[in-house]
Amino acid sequence: MAKIQTKNFGTIEIADTQRITFPEGILGFENEKEYYLIIKEDSPFLWLQSSKTESLAFILINPYLFIQDYKLEINHRDWDTIKIDPKEDDFLVFSIVTIPENPEQMTANLQGPIVINPKEKIGIQAISLNDEYSIRYPILDSLKKVLSPETK
Amino acid sequence: MLVLSRKMNQSLMIADDIEIIIVDIQKDQIKLGIKAPKDIPIVRKELYEAIKKSNISAVNKKDLPDLATIIQKNTTKK
Repeated sequence: MAKIQTKNFGTIEIADTQRITFPEGILGFENEKEYYLIIKEDSPFLWLQSSKTESLAFILINPYLFIQDYKLEINHRDWDTIKIDPKEDDFLVFSIVTIPENPEQMTANLQGPIVINPKEKIGIQAISLNDEYSIRYPILDSLKKVLSPETK
Repeated sequence: MLVLSRKMNQSLMIADDIEIIIVDIQKDQIKLGIKAPKDIPIVRKELYEAIKKSNISAVNKKDLPDLATIIQKNTTKK
């Protein structure tokens, strides 16, 4: 277990297995190479917390929650960076969520997916080769549908 | 920065495996063809910049709202 300072949850204890290395950093934050993936039960959101900078944390979401046929097309070099053969290996895909002043207008970035090799604990922010996807895809309506109780 | 003049259908090489060809020239737009190995990332700069900007605004907010509450609020609104 590691003790880390987080932007949203104060100081927490987290399993070392949640530590993910981003060899290339994340665009705009190239010097930050190490993050912890914080999973909260009962929440569709995950947090990617920088291990050294408390104030740096991204909110992530699984894009397949709202785009079932989301096609992840990224460069060969990106796959190599995270040591994944997309035909053989398991990998995780997330979108970075932006929450503006009015949180109801929250969006997900489908164009710059975060792809993680869960075995090797390596991640990358790739740039989707399929540029039909939005950088600011509104997600609240879809989330409502996904998360509202089925009894409604 | 190196600046080269090229005409329609002319090309230039970068190292020995990347070729950039002038495919079409319009008044305010040119079309480039790029032959490069598969592992060379090629991306329009605006896209790269837009993703960077989006990342920065994603971490800008100091206090995050209680996301569960927002969703709950919106769900019950229906």
